[in-house]
Amino acid sequence: MAAQTKHDWADDEDLDESKDELPPPQKIQNKDGSTTIIEYRYNELNQKVKTTRRIRFITHREVVNPRVAERKAWAKFGASAKDPAGPVTDTTSVGENIIFRPSVNWRKDAKDESKDPNAQAMKDKLRDKKVKCRICNGEHFTARCPFKDTMAPIGEAGAADPAAGMGDDLLAPGGAAGAAGTAGPGKKGSYVPPALRGDRAGAGAGDRMGGGKYGERDDFATLRVTNVSEMAEEGELREMFERFGRVTRVFLAKDRDTGLAKGFAFISFADRNDAVKACNKMDGFGFRHLILRVEFAKKAQ
Amino acid sequence: MRPILLKGHERPLTQVKYNRDGDLIFTTSKDQQICVWFSHNGERLGTYRGHQGAIWSVDVDPTSTIIASGSADNTIRLWDIKTGKCLKSWEFPTAVKRVEFNEDGSKLLGVTEKRMGHLGTIVVLDIKIDVEAEQSDEKALTIVCEESKATVAGWSYLSKYIIAGHEDGSVSQYDAKTGDLIYNIPVHELNSSITDMQWSSDRTYFITASQDKTAKLISAKDLEVLKSYPADTPLNTATITAKKDFVILGGGQAASEVTTTSSRQGRFEARFYHKIFEDEIGRVRGHFGPLNSIAADPTGKSYASGGEDGYVRVHHFDKGYFDFMYEVERERANRQQQMGTATA
Repeated sequence: MAAQTKHDWADDEDLDESKDELPPPQKIQNKDGSTTIIEYRYNELNQKVKTTRRIRFITHREVVNPRVAERKAWAKFGASAKDPAGPVTDTTSVGENIIFRPSVNWRKDAKDESKDPNAQAMKDKLRDKKVKCRICNGEHFTARCPFKDTMAPIGEAGAADPAAGMGDDLLAPGGAAGAAGTAGPGKKGSYVPPALRGDRAGAGAGDRMGGGKYGERDDFATLRVTNVSEMAEEGELREMFERFGRVTRVFLAKDRDTGLAKGFAFISFADRNDAVKACNKMDGFGFRHLILRVEFAKKAQ
Repeated sequence: MRPILLKGHERPLTQVKYNRDGDLIFTTSKDQQICVWFSHNGERLGTYRGHQGAIWSVDVDPTSTIIASGSADNTIRLWDIKTGKCLKSWEFPTAVKRVEFNEDGSKLLGVTEKRMGHLGTIVVLDIKIDVEAEQSDEKALTIVCEESKATVAGWSYLSKYIIAGHEDGSVSQYDAKTGDLIYNIPVHELNSSITDMQWSSDRTYFITASQDKTAKLISAKDLEVLKSYPADTPLNTATITAKKDFVILGGGQAASEVTTTSSRQGRFEARFYHKIFEDEIGRVRGHFGPLNSIAADPTGKSYASGGEDGYVRVHHFDKGYFDFMYEVERERANRQQQMGTATA
């Protein structure tokens, strides 16, 4: 803009000295179709103020009811008689944005969002998946299927297609456990050791149920920190690593008798990306005159 | 959607009303003035001053020339919309709780309160929709509600019936010419007052809101309950949206109970239900107190809600609202589209 005005800042300085005279307002047409308007005025402290506004005029044509158009031109009256044209800020303001998406199961959606801190992560994971009906394969919940009473589910009544089952659980993370529990209808009630649950086809969700869940989370975003000083405290480690994201667990191995640190620790992050960041930054970091070694924890054997 | 907040009132809102073209919103409140706003940007056009008491109700004639208001100062007044001038005032023995024009604006009904030995009545006045004209002083008709006082009333299609909602939860149908009672049907729970009644665009059916936490869609001809919308809080208002088949309900605990009950938020929301499937499909929050009145834009673009908190919030719907369809609706739309392309 400055280049187009051919107006040097040094000239401005000169103009400022002649206090009584204001430069005339300028209007400049920019190449991109917008207009720059430069105006000068004095403020309350008698200082000269230069206002530069860049405006783009967009003509938006709308066909309106002539009666409505006529009413828009009416003069204001009553308590608004002295108001200028357009909305006045003491009576009219704009509220914060409300996201309103009508949805058949809005109540469930809202509850999940508020209760489950991992809902966002879950949502991201399931973004491209679709709800699928077990009865007719339509895009709705099985419970809402129009053929619910007339048709049996695809395949067998009990042996639900695992893919479809997953689909049903997508928007109801809370229900996942329940669905997984009934995944083996044939042996319902009989105990299956966790180690064997994973072997069964179609019980993919089952192996998350047992003790495996904890281990899985650990491996996913847990760092192993070695060469930690004997004097280190868990709090210090947490403080250091929290800079990179939410830390869910800090474990510092300590000697049972002496209470001194054994020299290694595990840090679990809520998010894998944060863990990667922390791993890169903290490897080789000097902490209590020892150099830390940070790597991803290996799966427990 | 970004709601527009209108704060022209200092006391709780009592009614919010759009005109037929959907460009003006009239709001009444207990602070003794009526405000008129442009719906598209929330600009206040003016105020109508003159009432000496809380204003309970307002209605606008179909041509948007005059408005009528009913107030606790025992009067119904007629106002020129454009200038804010009071054109006429009718005195009654008790407060006027509700006013409504009929379809062509030639008649106005008013519901008067039962108080001080006077029974609740529904009065009908002949109106000339002309700012200059001399309005008649005489009441064209008076219906006395002997059993339970009417809280709301309105004109059916072709001004054939007057439908009234009562304090005991019943709805009655009167012949609009003679004032004879045709039906009186208890649609809501006994003694849960009907708080609002609003018409569909063709006035063949209407929705009632009641203290018994339900809203009902009722046909004007035989008072048959077509649909029922249960909520979890006493309702103060209900409206039917144009363009989309939704209804909007509003309510919340009574203002006097707000401090004595649990402070859990979330009762002061506008609730959207699907008109036909009766499912609740969403809520819009924002008010700090119960919603006293909700009005839907007759052109379907927006809705306005007035609350106990003294604010009016005007919401212009965005695309997600208009796109929402049930699967059966979408299937039908797809089928129709296919039929269209096949014939073309």
